[in-house]
Amino acid sequence: MNTLHFKVGLFTAVSLLLAGVFLAYLLHARGFFEGTFNLQLAASSADGVAPGVPVVFSGIEIGNVTTLGLNEEGGIIIHAKLLERNAKWLRENSTFTLDKPIVGGAKIRVNSPDLNAPPLPDNAIMLMLTSDISKEIPGLVERVKAILDNIEHLTRKDGEINTTLANVQTVTGRMAGEYGMLEGMLGSQEKARAVTESLDKTRDLIDKLDSMAAKTDQWLYAQDGTAQQVRLMLNDVQASLQKADALMANAVAISANVKAGTQDIAALRAEIDDAVLKASAMINAINRKWPFARDLEEVKLP
Amino acid sequence: MNFLAATIESLGAKVTGWFAVGYAMFAFLARATLLLLDRTTWNRATLDVVVKQVYFTSVQILHVFLGYALVISWLIITIILSTARDFGLTEFASEMTIRVLVLELLPFLTALFIALRSGSAINTEIALMQVNNELDALAHCKVPPMQFEFLPRLLGGVISVVTLAGLAGLLALLTGYLAIYGMNTAGVEPYTQTIAKIFDFQIVAGLIAKCALFGLAVTLIPVTAGLETPKKLFMVPVSVLRGMMRVFFAIVAIEVVSLALKYI
Repeated sequence: MNTLHFKVGLFTAVSLLLAGVFLAYLLHARGFFEGTFNLQLAASSADGVAPGVPVVFSGIEIGNVTTLGLNEEGGIIIHAKLLERNAKWLRENSTFTLDKPIVGGAKIRVNSPDLNAPPLPDNAIMLMLTSDISKEIPGLVERVKAILDNIEHLTRKDGEINTTLANVQTVTGRMAGEYGMLEGMLGSQEKARAVTESLDKTRDLIDKLDSMAAKTDQWLYAQDGTAQQVRLMLNDVQASLQKADALMANAVAISANVKAGTQDIAALRAEIDDAVLKASAMINAINRKWPFARDLEEVKLP
Repeated sequence: MNFLAATIESLGAKVTGWFAVGYAMFAFLARATLLLLDRTTWNRATLDVVVKQVYFTSVQILHVFLGYALVISWLIITIILSTARDFGLTEFASEMTIRVLVLELLPFLTALFIALRSGSAINTEIALMQVNNELDALAHCKVPPMQFEFLPRLLGGVISVVTLAGLAGLLALLTGYLAIYGMNTAGVEPYTQTIAKIFDFQIVAGLIAKCALFGLAVTLIPVTAGLETPKKLFMVPVSVLRGMMRVFFAIVAIEVVSLALKYI
């Protein structure tokens, strides 16, 4: 066997095989073995669209524009061609948007929100929307200009912001003084001093009130204090009233033969009078001893 | 006055020389093409020489060449990918890789490789044969050098450059896929889409034509340069030097013209 011939033969065979495989792969990739799917897009303007502009689904190119022209009504019809295997991404609810980014070429973006929707038929006409960033730039620039004008107006010499800043400076300058924040808020040292003095007085008053409250407390609730006495008196009243009740019951029973016991009524009357007197005396005592019933000297804050 | 006349004369001599070289080259190419069309050329002996030429030009260096192509491809792909990532242009990386490597760089490097290895050898061999009157002797013995020496070299060169550039290109495509998508099949569809977009009929035909022209340049120019060697031994290095310079210019010219045709 001639090794030289064998090697050359092997080289040729492998090269031819690879070339053949690559050719077949290329033909498959370019859709030689399958049909094409045609899509027509209606647009208001063909600005930026040219044959070869890619149709992109989820960032992957699935076809491209072949021709474009005007229809009878003066609208633009863009013809795009897709391989049949990519037609499944086009549904009846798909949207087509012409994207013209600032960097990079224009492309037609396909959005299919629902892949279960009925598929788009061949040669279907769909509407194409345009999202052109570069067209929005002039408007944006105008608005930015207006904003900058406003800022310029605000920050001009003796403008509002400058005045405000000057005021802030005055206030913070006062704040740095003896009475700090108070002086800053009230405007002058004298007013701030008045406030602090009032506060001092208030503090004294509160101290006084404190001691008064302590005294009242002692007077009311200590052993043999007013509260204790009131309770005892109330018990007394209750007992008297029970007695009166019993007497009244008796009186009702007795009233049938009142004639027989008229002398008893005088005694009864005396006892009721006594009870009422006691109650009256108790109420007077309470009125006298109850600390909050009489008028207190009012505490007036400055 | 004399000086001016001498300058003009030397310029004229140079231009005439270039024309003579160009004419000799194209006349030789025409004769070779005519011979190729002749039925008597296609005999077993000629074919044997062609096979030998293919062996020496491409099979013998295949492993070295593919290793070299692999390293270059891997480096360039990595550089393009990282640059594209830095600038946020990853979606253009695969297309850029394929265009730079498969369409431009690898065929160019293949032509240079073959020119340096086989072209220089052919030039020296023919120049020595010319100096030693071997060509005349062969013709005298009814072994026409055109059919048995020159034509097989041209064919071998064309076949070798086309095949080697194709193999290197396929290797670069594979390397590119692995570098971009890694060891899985997830990227097959987008990669196929990119390949389909780049390799239309014009591009493939242009690529093959360019490689064939490269193959022709790296063999035809050394052969004609060898043939015009004066019959003095010390002129052999001069002949090789001239031949290799011409080969270099021819390769660059072909590359420039192909780029201009493709992108302008």
